[in-house]
Amino acid sequence: MIRKPLRPLASILHARDAGENPDQIERANLRERHEEMRNKGRARAEGRLLIMGVLFAGAFVTVGARMGVVSMSEAMEPRTSYAGSRIQAERADIVDRKGRILATNLETHSIYAHPHEMIDPAAAASKLAEIFPDLDAENLERRFRDGRKFYWVKKKISPEQKQAVHDIGEPGLLFGRREMRLYPNGRLAAHILGGASFGEEDVHDAELVGVAGAEKFFDDALRDPANGDKALTLSIDLTVQTAAERVLWGGMKLMNAKGASSVLMDAHTGEIVSMVSLPDFDPNNRPRPPAKGQAADSPLFNRAVQGLYELGSTFKIFTAAQSMELGLANPETKINTAGPLRWGKFKIRDFRNYGAQLTLTKVIVKSSNIGTARMAQVIGAARQQDFLKQLGFFEPTPVELVEASGAQPLLPKNWSELSTMTISYGHGMSASPLHLAAGYAAIANGGTKVVPTILKQDNVVQGPRVMTVASAEASRLMLRKVVSEGTASFGEVPGYAVGGKTGTADKPLENGRGYYEDKVIATFAAMFPAHDPKYVLILSLDEPVETSGDEPRRTAGWTAVPVAAEMITRVAPLLGLRPEVEPAPLAGITLTSN
Amino acid sequence: MSYLEYNVKHVPAGLRKVLHVNWALLLLITAVAGVGFLMLYSVAGGSFSPWAEPQMKRYALGVVAMFVVAMVPIWFWRSVSGFAYLVSLILLVLVEVMGSVGMGAQRWIDLGFMRLQPSELMKITLVMCLAAYYDWLPPHKTSKPQWVLLPVLLVLIPTALVLRQPDLGTSILLLTGGAIVMFLAGVHWGYFAAVISMVVGLVVAVFQSRGTDWQLLKNYQYRRIDTFLDPSSDPLGAGYHITQSKIALGSGGWTGRGFMQGTQSRLNFLPEKHTDFIFTTLAEEFGYIGAISLLSLYALIVMFCIASALANKDRYSSLLTLGIAGAFFLFFAVNMSMVMGLAPVVGVPLPLVSYGGSAMLVLMVGFGLVQSAHVHRPR
Repeated sequence: MIRKPLRPLASILHARDAGENPDQIERANLRERHEEMRNKGRARAEGRLLIMGVLFAGAFVTVGARMGVVSMSEAMEPRTSYAGSRIQAERADIVDRKGRILATNLETHSIYAHPHEMIDPAAAASKLAEIFPDLDAENLERRFRDGRKFYWVKKKISPEQKQAVHDIGEPGLLFGRREMRLYPNGRLAAHILGGASFGEEDVHDAELVGVAGAEKFFDDALRDPANGDKALTLSIDLTVQTAAERVLWGGMKLMNAKGASSVLMDAHTGEIVSMVSLPDFDPNNRPRPPAKGQAADSPLFNRAVQGLYELGSTFKIFTAAQSMELGLANPETKINTAGPLRWGKFKIRDFRNYGAQLTLTKVIVKSSNIGTARMAQVIGAARQQDFLKQLGFFEPTPVELVEASGAQPLLPKNWSELSTMTISYGHGMSASPLHLAAGYAAIANGGTKVVPTILKQDNVVQGPRVMTVASAEASRLMLRKVVSEGTASFGEVPGYAVGGKTGTADKPLENGRGYYEDKVIATFAAMFPAHDPKYVLILSLDEPVETSGDEPRRTAGWTAVPVAAEMITRVAPLLGLRPEVEPAPLAGITLTSN
Repeated sequence: MSYLEYNVKHVPAGLRKVLHVNWALLLLITAVAGVGFLMLYSVAGGSFSPWAEPQMKRYALGVVAMFVVAMVPIWFWRSVSGFAYLVSLILLVLVEVMGSVGMGAQRWIDLGFMRLQPSELMKITLVMCLAAYYDWLPPHKTSKPQWVLLPVLLVLIPTALVLRQPDLGTSILLLTGGAIVMFLAGVHWGYFAAVISMVVGLVVAVFQSRGTDWQLLKNYQYRRIDTFLDPSSDPLGAGYHITQSKIALGSGGWTGRGFMQGTQSRLNFLPEKHTDFIFTTLAEEFGYIGAISLLSLYALIVMFCIASALANKDRYSSLLTLGIAGAFFLFFAVNMSMVMGLAPVVGVPLPLVSYGGSAMLVLMVGFGLVQSAHVHRPR
């Protein structure tokens, strides 16, 4: 930039010549220069200001436009999700074999308090105590005031209660979501389902954990999110279960028993269609295990699965079946029943004296201990053990209930010849009614072993053969005769030919030495229809007394059998069995030639 | 250009100065403050306490302060600019050393009768100092590197101190406020281009550094950025402010729910409803029309300042006026953008409306300087 000189020599000289003050030229030039600079500076500043102004205007427009957009937007409530929650609250349903709900989830809420956010802890405490009579206002208020930041007030509340708590209007009382396990049928199938309770909990969610029965056995599968909402299908039939529970409960009361159990099993598949244990409980509100007294008397105790009893004469059919299987006898073989049978200082007696000898069929029909024991002597300990083991009497039942694995049958430590003899008629070893059901199912289905299960089976694999069809059929005919002409005559159900065997076992004394005179376990092991058994029913009563006669009667024939007959009358139609005329028994020749 | 070169004989003196005050600007400021009183009255549930009444007192005090500042000749303010800047810098260091802790950040100095926030003071004194600097600096040196470095330091030192407090919002305001003055003073645009590209680089670095050892921001600041980018990701946590204020704005619609009828703010859904987020109350109760009216009032204040600066031939006066107008603009632009989800939540109050002592007082002192420049402009 070429600046204009402040004192241009020519001008000054010219001014001097003209006699003017040359300083005025300098002053004028200086002012000119300053003005020039000022104008340039201002032009630049105004340019900058223009840019700023455009930026400002842009900002105004942006903010204004945004305001319009937001004002026009719908007010959206915030939603939050707990996708990252480590607690898995979902639990699959459990349904019966026809898809009816046995266990499902119900959404409910918990209440917790943030005492530091409370406006009026005293009022909140007293209003809470009004809504929940089990809460104590003073106690609550003390907890609200003792400086803690968090307090659980209630774990499960109903919608009405939630509304009531909400209406208190206390900001320090908060709700957490809870999934609650609901058993809509109440006590039905309580022992099978077991129950569930909260595991790990936090404010938003709580884990549902199975605590007993199928809920605990299938806990992982029920909680596995990979299974989706696929329900667990049990083999139980809800209607049959209902009928069985009603009949058994009535029978227990009628026979003055303190407990009862029944197992109804599909003889071919091993599916348990109904299983009852009384007394029972409501899995929605599962009681605590008793602190004292015998666990076996608790309502939580599943007699059908956990109860180990000497099952008495119901065992005799296994001895008979094995002797026929081994070719040692046929139904008409005469057995020595002269008694009493002495073995050392031990005497085996019969209920009545049946004379010198009976056919094998009669031994079963009349339930002769002596005859059975003599056959067992012939069979021998080793073969007897082998047979019982094949029928599953040496292991806990593999049924899918968490309690089953604890029910290890009680076997004699030393399997002596005397043990062999007593076990042949069901004394000296203890097993659960479910073991017995599996054993009877093997006879009922023509000689193949079944595995008891509570899961609905779609395609059944036939188990290993434990006896020939002929032996099984002969045994079945004997069982039929027990009902038609023997100890279980009350078991006749018109239209549904019932076969079965009674068993009355004295209860052992608590000290383990000997037996009660007047306390028995009465069991009836049945199958129906006897000519082509579809189902096996084991029904047992704990300490029954039938008092309609002159003296109290405790034998199974008077107690368990009529209850079982009533149960079959009720459940057989529900199972889809039509009453039918029993085909005439085939000639004995056909049987023996088999 | 210096006053020495102008004839200041015609500058009014004595009580005549009062006549020459920019009354229109004062009227606009009072209108905005009045909106603030209404809103504080409303968020308190129709009560002058606890917020509206102290705010009115402060405003009255602020008007008095403004007049006092306006009556003092602008050349006095120019000569003490450097000193004022130094004092506020020392105060900033003092809060760093011995400030009492308020809301998790050390920002106050307790003067007994009020709590002084030196970072607020710095917003004005920084502008004063920069304006005085560019008035003193011969124009042809403006873009020389060594003469650019000095104002850059003047801006960066307080910015760094405020950032340490930590107050991200105010430090951003200081930085951009200083930049506005420098830009208007005519610093070569190349510097700004360089700085802007560096800032872009820094933003990238900030995001790259996340989760590493040399992480540049606090975790909560990252979370605020995250929620700014996607407020719905955490509606009950860090995104709560924005989500709730958007609900409030949305529920206001065009015409609003009516005075004292806002649910969102009055029912305690909004934290800080009387300070940083007071705009949501306005938007909910008076709707889009109310909000755009307030925005227009702010725009008018800025425009009156610019007009005053353009009419003023004194370089210091016009730079100061523009600097204060720019700072004022940044205040409400950042606050409104924040409330409407255009910017991250950085904690900037709405000027003249939000409840708060030192912000109001300092702003009124700033407008006092604008008035002083207006009254004492060369004629």
